[in-house]
Amino acid sequence: MVMAAKQTDGHHPMTTRFLDQEKVRKALDSAQSFGATYAEVRVVALTESTVAMRDGALEKAIPGQELGMTLRVLADGAWGVHSTTDLASLSDQIESTTRLARAVAKRRSSEEGPKALAEVPIIQDETHWRSKLDVRHTELDEKIRLMNEMHSGAIGHEDIVSVRTGWSDEHIHTELMTTEGMDRVWSFQRSLIHGMVTARRDGEVVSYRTRHGGQGGLEVIHDCDLVELGESAQRAALRLLNAERAPSGKLPLIADKDLTGVYIHEALGHPCEADLVAAGDSCLDGKLGQQIGNELVTVVDDPTMMGGYGAYPVDDEGVDTREKVLIKNGVLTEYLNHRETAHHFGVEPNGGARAQDGLHHPLVRMSNTMIHGGTHADMDELMEDIQYGVYACGTRGGQVDTGRGSFQFAAQEAWLIENGELTRPLKDVSVSGLTLEILKNVNGLTRDASLASPGFCGKGQTVPVGDGGPIMRISEALVG
Amino acid sequence: MLPDGAEERLLANADVLADACRASGVQQWDLIGFQSYGHQLDIEAGKITMAAGGGEGGFGVRVVDDGRFGFAHLVDVSGAQRAVEQAVAIAKKSPSVAGFVLPSEQPAEQVNGRMDRALLNMSPEDLLEQADGILSEVNSLDERAVVTGGGVGVSATAGCLMNSEGVLSAGMTTSHGIGLQVTLDADGELTSSYQGQSSRAKLPEVPECVSRAVHWAQVTQNPLRLDSEAHDAPVLLTSEGFSPLFSMVVPPAMTGEKMVRKESFWSDRMNEQVINPSLSIRDNGVLEGGMSSGSRDAEGVPRRQQTLVEDGRLTNMLWSTRDSAQQVAEGRIDAAQSTGSASSGGHQSPPSTGCTELFLTSSEASQSRDQMLENMGDGYVVNSVMGAHTANPSSGDFSVTTSSILKVEGGEIVGALKQAGLSGNLAKALNGAVVLGRDVRRQGSYSSGSMHLPDVLLMDGLRINPA
Repeated sequence: MVMAAKQTDGHHPMTTRFLDQEKVRKALDSAQSFGATYAEVRVVALTESTVAMRDGALEKAIPGQELGMTLRVLADGAWGVHSTTDLASLSDQIESTTRLARAVAKRRSSEEGPKALAEVPIIQDETHWRSKLDVRHTELDEKIRLMNEMHSGAIGHEDIVSVRTGWSDEHIHTELMTTEGMDRVWSFQRSLIHGMVTARRDGEVVSYRTRHGGQGGLEVIHDCDLVELGESAQRAALRLLNAERAPSGKLPLIADKDLTGVYIHEALGHPCEADLVAAGDSCLDGKLGQQIGNELVTVVDDPTMMGGYGAYPVDDEGVDTREKVLIKNGVLTEYLNHRETAHHFGVEPNGGARAQDGLHHPLVRMSNTMIHGGTHADMDELMEDIQYGVYACGTRGGQVDTGRGSFQFAAQEAWLIENGELTRPLKDVSVSGLTLEILKNVNGLTRDASLASPGFCGKGQTVPVGDGGPIMRISEALVG
Repeated sequence: MLPDGAEERLLANADVLADACRASGVQQWDLIGFQSYGHQLDIEAGKITMAAGGGEGGFGVRVVDDGRFGFAHLVDVSGAQRAVEQAVAIAKKSPSVAGFVLPSEQPAEQVNGRMDRALLNMSPEDLLEQADGILSEVNSLDERAVVTGGGVGVSATAGCLMNSEGVLSAGMTTSHGIGLQVTLDADGELTSSYQGQSSRAKLPEVPECVSRAVHWAQVTQNPLRLDSEAHDAPVLLTSEGFSPLFSMVVPPAMTGEKMVRKESFWSDRMNEQVINPSLSIRDNGVLEGGMSSGSRDAEGVPRRQQTLVEDGRLTNMLWSTRDSAQQVAEGRIDAAQSTGSASSGGHQSPPSTGCTELFLTSSEASQSRDQMLENMGDGYVVNSVMGAHTANPSSGDFSVTTSSILKVEGGEIVGALKQAGLSGNLAKALNGAVVLGRDVRRQGSYSSGSMHLPDVLLMDGLRINPA
């Protein structure tokens, strides 16, 4: 049995190990005896809770405990992976997983090099980002009270037909042991509250979503004026009832912080993921050191940005996290890397390995991605010389084709800009473009930049992310 | 692939959880359990890069007391008592829904074709051979083509559902899936296409999606340079291009809860014509070999075939037990009962309402793609869209982007566009002139269930915005 005899009961700080270190060390040693050049065991224990309310009544509350383990073996320069919820089965899987890796290796052509990992400091430690108010100690009544605060702000107009509120929190505890001697434990928490306000008038139905959250415990939610969050969602939903369809065409665009964040996540962040670059599926392949955007544009990805929804203390290969500067003054300076891609490109790993949970292997992922602020004082200054354009704000998500470099993102609401002024509200606005064209078309950024609403990113696996920036002006974008 | 006794162990663990429910004294309970095993290969840059395997599973338990319900999920049934206690505590804080009781045992139709023994016997080595064959086929179709992403996988899942009212259902399912991102590099200009296919039964060694992926990467090369403004045009959406929009917009609109809460664009339109009179939409919950069909829904109610839209007229809506009880109790509808449409997103969430195997059909003769192009005259063919998840299910409005689009003039394809916006209202477009193609393909969905869709030519209400 690999699982430790004592598990946490979910109410005490996580100092108890899920992995029996001695048994895992033996299992990892046996992997080497079967021919593995590297092996790791990563276990993730999640204590999570989601709550959904509708029109002020509890719809569902779901507490859960999930435990998953992934064994990853590198043998003959190829990967074998085994994931399971049955921690006790680890030792039985070592030989077969190593054999799998070797079977993959046999298919490698002669001109192709074996996969290998960039070297990293071998660390044995524990890192716990303690929350001020631990989510595991938060009672359901308190969550309901806070959700009702948001609800109270969102109701109260005859056209509002439904208000849904939701809650999600999680305590993530990870243990990683490797054949190199890495033995790290880390934990942190995330909290999120969200709402959707639906309005209806004369057969027209519109919805507006709002979110607040970040890395941390209940204090993250306490930091937000939830009544105001509900009220602003109500105002937006009512505005959408009066909104017109957006004009279609190539137009000047101003994006709020939310959309700026989604834009930079989709258009630049994904093509910067080095696993896609190495696979030949990125429009940024071979462009390191080149000017790919306006010199106003500096973009960072930073998992150490405490409070950001994409923050984490250690990446899922046990590498310490740090800020990555992806673009500096328009020049592509760095890809996001995990250990394998760092070796491939001959650079140091930069802490970009993330897995969805204990049952998935790490991929190269973003964390908190932001454009730095620019020189404009405010939105009025960005707008003043636009004769006809669109101001778009709030996100309904986005998508990218990294190989072609084409992306799309959708706004929750928008306004027409005419002669430097916001005139009419618009709805169903989407923006699309090509990464390498649009980055050059960014021609104005306000000074203040910050993370915007929390989000989720899908790449076969779903991980929480933060993104944001200043208010941004693009000289020409395809608006639909 | 499946360890000996997996199904028996799952049932034994379910019994432990059931015992904890009984010991709690709760009036009613139900539970679902899954245990999956599988093998998977990842492909990148034209190579198999990783072989993975493993197993995962867990249980979800729902307790019901006086119409109040609570739910909890767990992996290890040693925590059964704590999970049940959590669910009971939540139920006490939940509103009571008058008339909400869990379903009792009813006879259910046997649904065949949900497990293929040939898949149970597939080893990782068999998968490696299949992946070798696929990579070689891609290369033989176009030596410039590279599989830049995707993979091949097989899985077997033991599942069980039981409740306090005597429902007990257990069984095995298998699945085989392939997804490929094929990229072509012509003088530094990349074009690509993602295509996938999945089945409960073993797929051919080189399934059809492989040649489709290469084809669409090829035909979108050398894009035309257009200076045209945004304009309305007929659009032929392939099954792959249509399904993300259709599945985002249409199935949610047909759930009873959204209908009676007036959150569906078809609210208050029961028995009215809502789409073109030649079109019908049917949900076949007992489809043999379906990815989402089965004898019973996620609450244990027998699944069935049901017509939701008949000759353009809205005739039915989808209900689960709890949704129907709640909407009746809250006075939004006089009577409603489960249509066997409770779906499960896994053990971590309680049942919700959704479709299973949705078919869009036409009473008019279906057409070949060439006939559809001729019918279209001038317009576009779209094979994939980005941003379908941003479509508005309340209104049917969407505004998406495509890089897989061909321009058609006089019934002939004249070339590709590099990128274009595509917008409109899907509910309105389906109410205009619509022509369906012959070849029906199963597609996955954003919401729930499977979509069985042919190519669809929408003549009205769509706007193309060339980049």
